[in-house]
Amino acid sequence: MVVLVVLAVLAIALALWFFTTYNSLIGLKIRVDNAWSQIDVQLKRRYDLIPNLVESVKGYMQHEKDTLERVIKARSQAIDASGIKDKAQAENFLTQTLKSLFAVVERYPDIKANQNVLKLQEELTSTENKISFARQYYNDEVGRFNTSIQVVPANIVANACGFTRKEFFEIEDKAQKEAPKVQF
Amino acid sequence: MPFSFIDIEEKKTRVIGYLFAFIIVFYFVTSYLVLLVLENSVFPSFDYYTGRGFRMPPLEHTLIAFGVALIAGLMHWSLSTSHLIERICLTVGASPIDTKDTYHQYLKNIVDEVSVAIGGRRLEAYVIPSAAMNAFAIEDFGGRAVIGVTEGLLSRLNRAQIEAVVGHEAGHIISGDCLSTTVTCALSEIYDESFSKLGGALKRTRGRGSVVLLLLYLVIGAMRLMSNIIRYFISRQREYRADAVGVRLTRDPLSLAEALELISRTWRGQGAMGERMQSIFIINPAASQLDETEGLFSDMFSTHPPIKHRISILADMAHLDHKTLQENLKNFKRVAPIAKPEFKVEEAAAPASWLVFMGQDWLGPFGPAELLKLDGFKPDVWVRAEGSSVTSHAYEVPALLDLFRPAEVIGRTGAGNCPRCHTPLSEYSYEGVSILKCVYCEGVFVEQDKISRIFVRRDMDFGDDVVRLAKNFMGTKGKDALAEKIEPKNAWVLDCPKCHIQFKDKFKMRRQFFVHSYPVEIDRCSRCDGVWLDKYELEILQYLYEHKEQFFDGSNF
Repeated sequence: MVVLVVLAVLAIALALWFFTTYNSLIGLKIRVDNAWSQIDVQLKRRYDLIPNLVESVKGYMQHEKDTLERVIKARSQAIDASGIKDKAQAENFLTQTLKSLFAVVERYPDIKANQNVLKLQEELTSTENKISFARQYYNDEVGRFNTSIQVVPANIVANACGFTRKEFFEIEDKAQKEAPKVQF
Repeated sequence: MPFSFIDIEEKKTRVIGYLFAFIIVFYFVTSYLVLLVLENSVFPSFDYYTGRGFRMPPLEHTLIAFGVALIAGLMHWSLSTSHLIERICLTVGASPIDTKDTYHQYLKNIVDEVSVAIGGRRLEAYVIPSAAMNAFAIEDFGGRAVIGVTEGLLSRLNRAQIEAVVGHEAGHIISGDCLSTTVTCALSEIYDESFSKLGGALKRTRGRGSVVLLLLYLVIGAMRLMSNIIRYFISRQREYRADAVGVRLTRDPLSLAEALELISRTWRGQGAMGERMQSIFIINPAASQLDETEGLFSDMFSTHPPIKHRISILADMAHLDHKTLQENLKNFKRVAPIAKPEFKVEEAAAPASWLVFMGQDWLGPFGPAELLKLDGFKPDVWVRAEGSSVTSHAYEVPALLDLFRPAEVIGRTGAGNCPRCHTPLSEYSYEGVSILKCVYCEGVFVEQDKISRIFVRRDMDFGDDVVRLAKNFMGTKGKDALAEKIEPKNAWVLDCPKCHIQFKDKFKMRRQFFVHSYPVEIDRCSRCDGVWLDKYELEILQYLYEHKEQFFDGSNF
């Protein structure tokens, strides 16, 4: 009788532990998904802004067609990319081409004096920063999630319920690693 | 992350619970003391000399007193926590950003970026129209969070530094100490107002009423002193923590250290921003000696930790020491968020045909006659001479401006008319501020709340003509002008562009000197306080304002 009671209590405690661990893992997973959708919102915003910027500097930059075309190409590549790794790569490329566009813009005093371009440039700078912040937040959340599905004893629950590690949204460009933000 | 979100929520409610309990206990104790005094003075069996006959109040009286205390405590609580954000903003003079202002838009972008960094929680951006440098964060029970900065900070720090400051403020919000600080400030502030009002009333009242007032004044004064104790609930450690969380958000300790260094060197708003509100600011507006010392006493009674210590912790994170940081800041120059106008005068023959940017495309080329026939060809459209790459507004090209003159339409549009030329004014961005400008006489109309913003910002360059005129104004000629009075027949001439639409001739603008130290005559509307400035007058005033040391130490004149 006593043995049965002890076993029943143990079983209930085990079940309780199992459910609470599972729930907290699910909570973390949802936060990772949320963080990803944050990145997505900002990336979409950047896709929308780029054509406007290209449109408004096109008139000034007859000799810089290459740069502009590279930006447009990088944008459509980034839109088409799927999967976190490919997406990260395409986005990094887009960031680099945008940087070279900004560098070219610096050489044209006419463009710099145009309030409209300046405004778009500021919007884009802000969006770039938001992307890097959203990525930072996402990676923090992924780090926390990955840790919590690997620590003992939560890893038992994670393995049983099929939780797998999430991928980081990584930066591959070395120069970007040193200066993660565009500053004006 | 120092805490999980659940910890934060728990901690928040615990601190708020303490505060509430403190308020209630405070009123219980006060009402019991009052009751003791009343019991022993209404039926005076108490003998002062022997100390005998001291009556304890009976139970029912005690219960009544506690009931009164409970009601008073609840009223105090609900009065000070309703419309928390609005009331505090009113006290420190903050208002939401002006979306047409370039600098404000810039701040909003930064605040939005930080909001992404904390996981997408909405933060509102507010601005205090003051030349001081400071920033604050407040939060209410509904989870609404506001981050505010002063105009002075906005116009003197660079983007990364503002971002670091906003990150610090967001640090207060996500580490959970913002709500308790906000509530504490609101609670300790409520007696200030009644105290100062009573003080005023006391001076005016004579006779028997004044005795009652004096009594009330003393009671409120005592309550005010007592309720100040509440502020010592706020630990100065919270600033270190917010610095740390801010750095975790922006990953930029150097900028935060620089920002603190720059803020600490200037006027932080002492006297201008609610004295009791100091806890919500990044750096104490009242530069107090207590803040700069360490030890048990200052840990208990000051609201902010020593700035030097904060800066050296942050500088250390960036592998610098405080001295090097100060050295590096000597050459500090910020990049202005606006395009600076150029002062080159080009005398070229007017080209015969023009391209016009309308809809979403360049149209043309057109000759002058064709241009006039175009629907929607206004002074503020973008034009470009055929074969040239220089784009400008139509009103900036003298040849095109002449085209408009015969076709002037005297009508009343939404923006109002120029009081001199009676033509519609167009919106124009002057140092990031949206003002109204006449394209013909180049006079400008500036609303009352915008003019101070222009004077705080220092990103404009001035043309030679403006500098010459400004120096003339401050020379003997201008001083003579100051001695003369404005002729009455000139004093009420112009119509206010804004108020004239609605009130016709009811309100005129009054001619006066902008301030009495500068002999620049302006016209100020008697209703909305908006200011009309003729060509160059705004630039001259701004030049004088920005170079006032030069004009008032007597070295140049």
